[in-house]
Amino acid sequence: MDPKARILARVRRALEGRPKAHLPPHPHTPLPEDPVDLLLGRLRENGAEAKRLSREEAKAFALSLAQGLPGAAFGKTLPEDLRPPLPELPPEEAPLGLSYALFAVAETGSVALSSEEGRKAQLLPPTHLVFVEAGRVYGTLLEALEDLKALPAALGLHSGPSKSADIGQVMVKGVHGPGRLVVAVLIGPG
Amino acid sequence: MRARARLYPKEAARLLREKPGVREAVTGATLHFERNRLRAYGEVPIEEWRERAKAVKDHVLTHLDHYLELAERRLRENGVRVHWAETPEDAHRVLREIVQRHGVRRAVKAKSMLTEELAVNPLLQALGVEVYETDLGEYLIQLLGEPPSHIVGPAIHLSLEEIQKLFHQRFGTPLDAPPEALAQVARKVLREAFLSAELGLSGANFLVAETGTLALMENEGNIRLSTSLPRVHVAFVGLEKLLPRFADLALFLPLTARAATGQRLSTFVSLIQGPAREGEEGPEEVHVVLVDHGRTALLQDPEAWETLRCLRCGACLNACPVYRQTGGHPYGYVYSGPIGAVLDPGLLSLEEAYPLPYASTLCGACYEACPVRIPIPRLLLTWRHRAVAEGLTPAWEGAAMKAFRQVMASPALYRLFSKALRGLPLPQDLLPLLKAWTEGRGPLKPSPKPFHELWKELEEAEGGP
Amino acid sequence: MRVALFLTCLADQFYAEAGVAAVRLLRALGVQVDFPEDQTCCGQPAFNAGYWDEARPLAKRTLRVFAEAAYVVLPSGSCASMVKNHYLELLPGDREALALAEKVYELSQFLVRVLGVKRLGEGLKGKKVAYHHGCHALRELGVREEPLLLLRNAGAEVLPWEASEECCGFGGLFSVKLPEVSLAMADRKLATLHEAEVLTSTDAGCLLHLAGRLHRKGKHLRVVPLATLLWEAYAG
Repeated sequence: MDPKARILARVRRALEGRPKAHLPPHPHTPLPEDPVDLLLGRLRENGAEAKRLSREEAKAFALSLAQGLPGAAFGKTLPEDLRPPLPELPPEEAPLGLSYALFAVAETGSVALSSEEGRKAQLLPPTHLVFVEAGRVYGTLLEALEDLKALPAALGLHSGPSKSADIGQVMVKGVHGPGRLVVAVLIGPG
Repeated sequence: MRARARLYPKEAARLLREKPGVREAVTGATLHFERNRLRAYGEVPIEEWRERAKAVKDHVLTHLDHYLELAERRLRENGVRVHWAETPEDAHRVLREIVQRHGVRRAVKAKSMLTEELAVNPLLQALGVEVYETDLGEYLIQLLGEPPSHIVGPAIHLSLEEIQKLFHQRFGTPLDAPPEALAQVARKVLREAFLSAELGLSGANFLVAETGTLALMENEGNIRLSTSLPRVHVAFVGLEKLLPRFADLALFLPLTARAATGQRLSTFVSLIQGPAREGEEGPEEVHVVLVDHGRTALLQDPEAWETLRCLRCGACLNACPVYRQTGGHPYGYVYSGPIGAVLDPGLLSLEEAYPLPYASTLCGACYEACPVRIPIPRLLLTWRHRAVAEGLTPAWEGAAMKAFRQVMASPALYRLFSKALRGLPLPQDLLPLLKAWTEGRGPLKPSPKPFHELWKELEEAEGGP
Repeated sequence: MRVALFLTCLADQFYAEAGVAAVRLLRALGVQVDFPEDQTCCGQPAFNAGYWDEARPLAKRTLRVFAEAAYVVLPSGSCASMVKNHYLELLPGDREALALAEKVYELSQFLVRVLGVKRLGEGLKGKKVAYHHGCHALRELGVREEPLLLLRNAGAEVLPWEASEECCGFGGLFSVKLPEVSLAMADRKLATLHEAEVLTSTDAGCLLHLAGRLHRKGKHLRVVPLATLLWEAYAG
């Protein structure tokens, strides 16, 4: 017998005669009134910067963030109209990464980044700017996960700047992911 | 990893005597975690959450064969290679094949208690692979050659001074370099590792059976990097990590984050479905190793199987006033603190884990903290009762208990003992115990007369009922 | 109303005055108090150490000794909890154990919840009291507000104490089997205690341990059982 067969046999033997426990249904909590407001608040509480911008403002904002920097790394699904005129750099070298989120979750203050969008640009540059459409902001995590039908190879939920207090209980940022997370929620037609 | 639990009493005493800084560091860290947890629990209907999480875990565990097979099917459909490991040797075989096939020279590792159980690092080193622990706390203890002291914060026993000294010796940083500077050094070293490693290793917080999704939680980003940059990702998953449905993550991810660090959600959550798709960045190969290593033995235990609900959040460690005094090293195994005291006898054996169930005053703080309501105090009593039945407790203690029972079973003997306490010389075998008391607390002074003698006087003076 | 007093072996030997105080207080409140003289120990030390075969006969005799009582009152959280919550582990399904569990109360719990007494007098006016929550009273019996209410209503200033709900480190045999850890826990409690005039708690074990540690450290602080302090609250 191989390990799988032996393991399953032991599991079955263990469960013989043991009463089965029921699986409770998912709870449904009331949805927040203004998910975008809540998202901005929660992101800020998590140590991220968060703004509500129109598409034009967003592009200008990205430019201002990149002021004095040699360029940025871009996510693959970033729409053309949101892409600022900056030189594209590989993520290993870029001081700024610009991503387009699949969705956001207000109650936890999180943006969801798909592997389709990329991975390195979300993790390697020290500053990470994320655009998310206002219409893609879910109120609760349950709502978001229940709505997610086609799962990408990897989905990252990012809720703030990278941080650690492992060195003498003192908080430091930017070890190892981006130490600065900036989220712009895009309002208006898009 | 071999357990060295037998040394707990001596090691705890030695640590308190020789390294008072550890008690200070661990107390500071655990109190901080506790406060955050209490605040985070207070924001939500936590009793409902705990009840629900307990029910979901009980359901998965009582249907574990079904969910394991479902998970394997889904994982395979997603292009993930699935392996089953009963023992560390089985797990080593899987790794050896991968290392050899891919010519792995360097590996980056996310923190995983299961990989400590399985002694993965020594194996990789023996195969000539340079292993980098990428969680900052794990990296620190890797440099020091120490085992982890806590499930979530492996380096909480280290003071800032010790870390400054370590970096000074290793990297030439100034002795008074602030944490920021030290973190930058670690970041640079580990970035180099992330970008060059062929193999990324991780555990998993959860494996969703319905969709074959691996869920991993962290605050640094090292897990996202370790599971995204290298060509191959191998995840070690304990059998008990399963969740039934994808949407169950909406309860478990926030609950675990609140319990562990008082956060609404960990800074980075990776939901991994499989290898990179066409044209995408990410690993070419993803492997999941489903690991037993004592879990089926514990599942078979009619009184202790509930321990398998454990989410490895560390909340019980943070709440425990006993753990707080020493940190995890004296416990001698990967899982320390309250959960260690009940998980280790179940995964290993009571003999190997003895006397950990006695490293507790049964205060119950752990049970209050546990997000999945594991009845740790009740389990501790169960293991203690078994320890006596298995003859693991010292002979003198058994004799003392018999004597105690005889005295207390007879009011006449009890009264005699009461008089002896106040005048006659005490029996010899009580003396070492007496010394253990008086050394730290001064002499025991009984009341001049015991109450049962005062009662008669009370009745006479006050005319009775 | 008639109650049986279960003093507990530790209080009988080391805090006999708590028994006297409890009797006087209950009688002053109009309760008739019996003291079944055959009582010895509830069996908790053996039970907690895993020696259930030694604990079981002691549990059985305790059930016999208190079988006739309408209420059983103890100046101890841990012993009350042993009877109420753990006898059924030793004697699963035992009818007498179930019956006794219903009648068992820690003293302050009895005063507040059964007698409905919330105010005892002014006897503690201005006293700075540190209250240590014994773990069994707090977490197994749910006794938290009762002692605080009685102390405050008697004029005591119950001091804020960061570590008031943390275990003191007594833990029965733990105190002598793992003495260094036990003492470190006592030191943690005492290090966070400031400016108190008196330290009190429901449990004799905790008090012996903390009082002993204070003595050893050369600190002077009056340590008394809750029962004694409550009698002072009443009698002035």
